[in-house]
Amino acid sequence: MPVAASAIYFLNLRGDVLINRTYRDDVGGNMVDAFRTHIMQTKELGNCPVRQIGGCSFVYMRISNVYIVTVVSSNANVACGFKFVVEAVALFKSYFGGAFDEDAIKNNFVLIYELLDEIMDFGYPQNLSPEILKLYITQEGVRSPFSSKPKDKPVPNATLQVTGAVGWRREGLSYKKNEVFLDIVESVNLLMSSKGNVLRCDVTGKVLMKCFLSGMPDLKLGLNDKIGLEKESEMKSRPAKSGKTIELDDVTFHQCVNLTRFNSEKTVSFVPPDGEFELMKYRITEGVNLPFRVLPTIKELGRTRMEVNVKVKSVFGAKMFALGVVVKIPVPKQTAKTNFQVTSGRAKYNPSIDCLVWKIRKFPGQTESTLSAEIELISTMGEKKSWTRPPIQMEFQVPMFTASGLRVRFLKVWEKSGYNTVEWVRYITKAGSYEIRC
Amino acid sequence: IVGVFFFHLSTHETPPVNQNISTILAAPSSDLSSILSDRVTSRWFLLRWISRRTNSNHISTATISAMPPPAASSRYPSPSQPSGKSEVTDLKSQLRQLAGSRAPGVDDSKRDLFKKVISYMTIGIDVSSVFGEMVMCSATSDIVLKKMCYLYVGNYAKGNPDLSLLTINFLQRDCKDEDPMIRGLALRSLCSLRVPNLVEYLLGPLGSGLKDNNSYVRTIAVTGVLKLYHISASTCIDAEFPATLKSLMLHDSDAQVVANCLAALQEIWSLEASHSEEACREKESLLSKPLIYYFLNRIKEFNEWAQCLILELAVKYVPSDSNDIFDIMNLLEDRLQHANGAVVLATVKVFLQLTLSMTDVHQQVYERIKSPLLTLVSSGSPEQSYAILSHLHLLVVRAPFIFASDYKHFYCQYNEPSYVKKLKLEMLTAIANESNTYEIVTELCEYAANVDIEIARESIRAVGKIALQQYDVNAIVDRLLQFLEMEKDYVTAETLVLVKDLLRKHPQWSHDCISVVGGISSKNIQEPKAKAALIWMLGEYAQDMSDAPYILENLIENWEEEHSAEVRLHLLTAAMKCFFKRAPETQKALGIALAAGIADFHQDVHDRALFYYRVLQYDVHVAERVVSPPQQAVSAFADTQSSEIKDRIFDEFNSLSVIYQKPSYIFTDKEHRGPFEFSDELGSTSITPEVSSDIVPAQQFEANDKDLLLSTDEKDDNKGLSSNNGSAYTAPYESSNISSQMQELAISGPAASATTTQSSFDFDDLLGLGLSTAPAPTPSPPLLKLNARAALDPRAFQQKWRQLPISLSQEYSVNPQGIAALTVPQSLIKHMQSHSIHCIASGGQSPNFKFFFFAQKEAEPLDYLTECIINSSSAKAQIKVKADEQSTSQAFATVFETALSKFGMP
Repeated sequence: MPVAASAIYFLNLRGDVLINRTYRDDVGGNMVDAFRTHIMQTKELGNCPVRQIGGCSFVYMRISNVYIVTVVSSNANVACGFKFVVEAVALFKSYFGGAFDEDAIKNNFVLIYELLDEIMDFGYPQNLSPEILKLYITQEGVRSPFSSKPKDKPVPNATLQVTGAVGWRREGLSYKKNEVFLDIVESVNLLMSSKGNVLRCDVTGKVLMKCFLSGMPDLKLGLNDKIGLEKESEMKSRPAKSGKTIELDDVTFHQCVNLTRFNSEKTVSFVPPDGEFELMKYRITEGVNLPFRVLPTIKELGRTRMEVNVKVKSVFGAKMFALGVVVKIPVPKQTAKTNFQVTSGRAKYNPSIDCLVWKIRKFPGQTESTLSAEIELISTMGEKKSWTRPPIQMEFQVPMFTASGLRVRFLKVWEKSGYNTVEWVRYITKAGSYEIRC
Repeated sequence: IVGVFFFHLSTHETPPVNQNISTILAAPSSDLSSILSDRVTSRWFLLRWISRRTNSNHISTATISAMPPPAASSRYPSPSQPSGKSEVTDLKSQLRQLAGSRAPGVDDSKRDLFKKVISYMTIGIDVSSVFGEMVMCSATSDIVLKKMCYLYVGNYAKGNPDLSLLTINFLQRDCKDEDPMIRGLALRSLCSLRVPNLVEYLLGPLGSGLKDNNSYVRTIAVTGVLKLYHISASTCIDAEFPATLKSLMLHDSDAQVVANCLAALQEIWSLEASHSEEACREKESLLSKPLIYYFLNRIKEFNEWAQCLILELAVKYVPSDSNDIFDIMNLLEDRLQHANGAVVLATVKVFLQLTLSMTDVHQQVYERIKSPLLTLVSSGSPEQSYAILSHLHLLVVRAPFIFASDYKHFYCQYNEPSYVKKLKLEMLTAIANESNTYEIVTELCEYAANVDIEIARESIRAVGKIALQQYDVNAIVDRLLQFLEMEKDYVTAETLVLVKDLLRKHPQWSHDCISVVGGISSKNIQEPKAKAALIWMLGEYAQDMSDAPYILENLIENWEEEHSAEVRLHLLTAAMKCFFKRAPETQKALGIALAAGIADFHQDVHDRALFYYRVLQYDVHVAERVVSPPQQAVSAFADTQSSEIKDRIFDEFNSLSVIYQKPSYIFTDKEHRGPFEFSDELGSTSITPEVSSDIVPAQQFEANDKDLLLSTDEKDDNKGLSSNNGSAYTAPYESSNISSQMQELAISGPAASATTTQSSFDFDDLLGLGLSTAPAPTPSPPLLKLNARAALDPRAFQQKWRQLPISLSQEYSVNPQGIAALTVPQSLIKHMQSHSIHCIASGGQSPNFKFFFFAQKEAEPLDYLTECIINSSSAKAQIKVKADEQSTSQAFATVFETALSKFGMP
C-alpha cells in the first residue's frame, strides 16, 4: 500500500479545524483532538513531522499558516504521503490563484472538499493533475445556477481525459499565436567558512516552461550538458564542439518527458502540458560560478564595542547586474547603537532578527561594495557570554546568469500542422541558502 | 422501492413514525398509487404528505427521536466557538422551507445553507439533526449542491442508518444518470455510506458501475468494491466482485481503473488470505511473473501514484534468475529520473531488494541510486528531506562507503528545522571514515557553538561517537578538550560524558584528558550524567589527580543535596576505588559515604553501600578485586539495535518503519501497544521501568495486607525489605538475595528491577502462598511441568516477544466468579503465579484488562510467553502464546486454561 490515508485535516495555527475529510473508518473521529493535544499544544510541534499517537501515525506539514495533517493507521509510505500533500497544495494554489493560507481555505472550502473527493478515493491517491481536474471541477461549479435540467454537462471528453494515457494534455487546443516560454531558474547554495574556504556549494536548477501551443506538439530541448553533447557528437560521428559543457549530477523530469529516449539518446523530448509546468530539475556540484564573494571581518573590541566590515564583490559579467541584493549581518542581541557607512545601497539595524540588513537594489557585475559599521553593546552584568556568531546570509537574483553555466542550445517544436512558434528563453540565478560564516 | 422503504421504517422506527406510516398505509388508494407511479419523487411526496397530515412540530420530534442521541462526537475545537445549538435549529427550519420549493434562485439559497452545514460539520459541531432536511433538499441538478449533500450524507450516514435509507433512493437514481460525472459521484457516495444493512442496495449499482462504458465511473466502482468489502466482506466475496476486478485489471484499457483494481485486490486478498486458501493463492498470483511484467511494461501509462503502487508490488516479486533481475532493472532504470520523489524512492527499494543476493550488483546499485537520493534531500520541503534523510541513514548504516565522499551534502544550513539537522548529524557520524573525519569533525565543532542548544549537544555527541568508532583519535581528543575550555555548562556536561567513554576505550589518552578534566570545578556541573562521568574519572584516575580524594570528600559531604541516585551510586564506587589507591586520604570520606549510603532511601544505593561494607568487612583484597579490577579497554560499545531488527527495517524500506527506526509490527499490531508503551525516543524499545516496578510493590503490599495466611514474622520480613531497615533482614532471605545482588553489582551498576521481581516471586513461594490458594488436586495432572521459580527480566521478555512467532491464539470464557475477582487485577496475577505462570506486566481498565505472563518449563530453560486480554463485560479471555518450543505450546495453553478457569473459585 503506498498510502492508504485514513483522514486528512487542515488546521490553522490555533488548532481549529478548517477541513476535515475522513476516508476510512479505521481511525476514530477524535484524531484531530489527539493531534491538537499531543502535538500542537506541546513542544513536539515542529520537532518531527511524523509522529505516532495511539495506533495512528500523523504525517504533517506546515504550509504558510496552515497545518495539513494526514492520518494513517498502517505502515504507510511517508515519502509518498508528503509528496501527495505538496502536490495537492500545488493543485489548490492553481485553483485559488497563488495563495494558500487560512483565508483562502475558508473562502474555498467547498471547492477543497470537491477536490479532496477527486484526488483521493478511500485513501488511495487518484489523479492530481490540475489540467485535467479543471475540466470538470471549476471554481464556479455549474455554469448557470438557475438551470433545473442537467443541460450543461462538462466537456464531453472530460471524463475520458481524467484517466487517459496522455493525462497531462487534452486534445483540440488551439492558439492564434504559438508561443513557448522557457525559464532556467537556478538557486545557488553556499556555505563558506570564516577563512573563506568553500565548505559546500551546489546549484539546484529548474527548467520552467509555459506553453501556448496548438494541437499535440512534440518538443525537443537541447542543453549544453556534457553527456547530451557527447552522445550527440557520437551519433553524428563528428567531434564535439569545444566550449563549456556542464556535468549534471542528477536530473529529474516531468512525467511528460520520454525517459526511455532520454536514457538512450540523451535528448529531452516531450509532449508538453498546456500552460505552466516544471519540465526538469537538476543538481550540479562541480564547477559552480559563485556570483558573489563576501569578505567579512568582525572584531570584538572589548566588551561593549564591535567593528564590522563586510566587502561584497560581484564576480559575474560586467554587463550583467544583480537585483534585490540583501546582506544580513548578524549582531549580538544586546546591540545598543549602530553606526554605519555603505558605499552603495542602504543599511538598517533590525532588532527583531538581530541583524544589520543591507539592501542594494541593483548591483552591477565586476564591482564591489563595502559596509563598515561600529556597534555598541549594552554591557551585561555577570559572566561573559560568548556570542555564537551566526553566519551572514545573502539574497539576490542575477538575471541572464546561470551559476552552473547551463545554456539552452535549441528548443525545437514539431507539430503535424507545421505552424511556426516563437520561443522565449530566460535565465536567472537566485540565492538559495547563501551562508558565509564569520 | 416504496415497499422496502416501508418495511425498513416500520422495523426500525420508533412508535410516532410507525403511526405515521400506518396512516399512510391507510390512506386512500389513489394516494398510494400515485406514490408508486411517481417513483422518482416518491420520497418527497411521502415526506410532504406526512407533514401535511401532522403539524410540523410533531414531525420534527419524530425525526429527532428516530435518531440516536448525538454521540460524544460533538467536540468543540475551542471554547470560543459557538455551541451551535441554536444555529443548527435555525438551519433546520430554513432548510425545511426550501425543501419543497421550486422557485427560481432556490439553489443559491440552498447552496449557502449547505455551506453553513458543511462548515459546522467541519469544525466539529454535530449537525446530524438536520439529516432529514438535507436529504429533502437534495433534489437538485446542481452538481456542487449534490456534492455537498453527498459529503454530508457520507459523514453522518453511519450514525443514522435508518435515515440514510432515505438517501438510497436518490443515490440509486443518480447512479443511472446519463452524465457519467453524476453516475460516478453518486456511486462513490453510495459506497461511502458505510451502513451494513444497506449493502444489498450497493450490489446492483456497483455491478453496473464496473461495466460502465465510462472509465471515470469504473475507477470509482472499483474503489467502491473495496469499500463494500470493508463494510461487509462476505457480501463482497459472494457477489464475486474480486473476480470481476481481476478481469478488469487484466483487460481494462484505462490505467487508473487498472491501478485501482490492483490496490483493491491487494487489500482484499491480503485480508482474506488469513482464512481462505483460495485468497492466499490469488494473492500469490498477483506476484506471478507474467502479471509483474504486464504491469512493469506498462508502467509509463500510469500516473505517479499508481506507479508507486506497482513498484511496491514489484518489490515482493521473487525473480527466477539473474536475467530476470536485470530485465526488471532495465525496465525501471528511467524511473530514477522521475520528478516525483515517491516514485524514485519506490524504485530504489525495488533495486535494493532485487539485488540482495548479488553482492557486486548490490554495490553498483548503491552507486547508481546515490545521486537521485541526494537530489531528493536537497529539493522539496524540509519535511520531505526529513523522510528521505531517514532512508539515507538506514542505507548508510548498511553501506557507510556510499556517501563517504559526499559528506558535504549533510552539512547543516543555519535555518533548517532541528529535525533535519539532527538527522544530518547522524548521517555525518555514520559516514565518517579515515579520509573525511577531519573535515566532518571540524564542521561538527562549528555546530557546538550553535544557538540551538539541543543541536549543539547533538553535535558534541556526534564528535564523541566518531571518536569511538575511529582508531586514530588524536585530533578528536584535542577538539573534545577544547570544548571543555568553551566554559558553557551544557558543552562541558556533554563533553565529560564523552571523555569518560573515550577513556574506557582508549585508556592511553588518560594522561592528556585527566590534566584538563582535573581543572574543571565540580560545582559547575549540574547534570547527573556529566557529574557521574566526572566522579567515575575521579575514582578511576585517583592516582593521577592529586586532589581527587578531596573533591570526592567534598561531594560526599553534600550527599543529602545530591538528588540523582545515579550520581550517588557512582560516588560510592568512586570512593571505594579511590580508597584502594590512596587509602589514608580517603578512609574518612569512604566511611561517611558508606554510612550515608546505607541510610539512603533509594534501594539500589542502599544495597550497594551495604554490599561494599560487607565485602570490605570480609576481606579488603577481595573487595578490591571486585570493585576495582585491572582496567580492560572496551573494544566495542554495544549496539542499541540488533542486526535482525535492522534487517527487518530494511525490508520495510520506504515506509514509516524507517522513520520510527523500528519494524512495523511494533507500532501497527495492537498487541504490541497496551502495557508496553514504547517510549518515543528513536531506537529505544525498552519497557519503561515504571511498568514492572509498579506491579511488584503492589503485589508485595497485596501480600501484606490482604493475605491473612502470612505469619507475623514473615510480615515483618517483608516490611523490612521495603523500609530499608537493614537489621530486619533474616538469614535465609539474605543469603539468597545478597548473592544475586552481588553478581548484579559485579556486572552492572544499577540493580535491574528483575532482581526484585525474582526475589518477590521466590519469596512468595517460600511462604507457601501459592499452595494455599491452589485448588484441590486437578483432575488430570497437566502434562507440562512448569518451573515455579522461573525468572525473566522485562527486557529479555520483550525481546523474546518480538522474536517469536505466535504459536497459538485462543479464546476462553472466564467464569463469573473470576470476573468478579478481577476487580482487583492483582489477584489474577497472584493466582496465576500459584500455577507457576508469572506476570511481567499488566495494565488496562475495566472492562479490558491486559496481562503479559511468562512461564518456564521445569528443568529446561524453555520459556512460554503469553499475552492475555480479558474483557470483563463479555467474560472472555483472549490469549496469544509464544513459545521457545512450539510443540508444547498447546500443552502450555491447557495449563493456562486450567489455571484461568480456577480463578475466583474458592
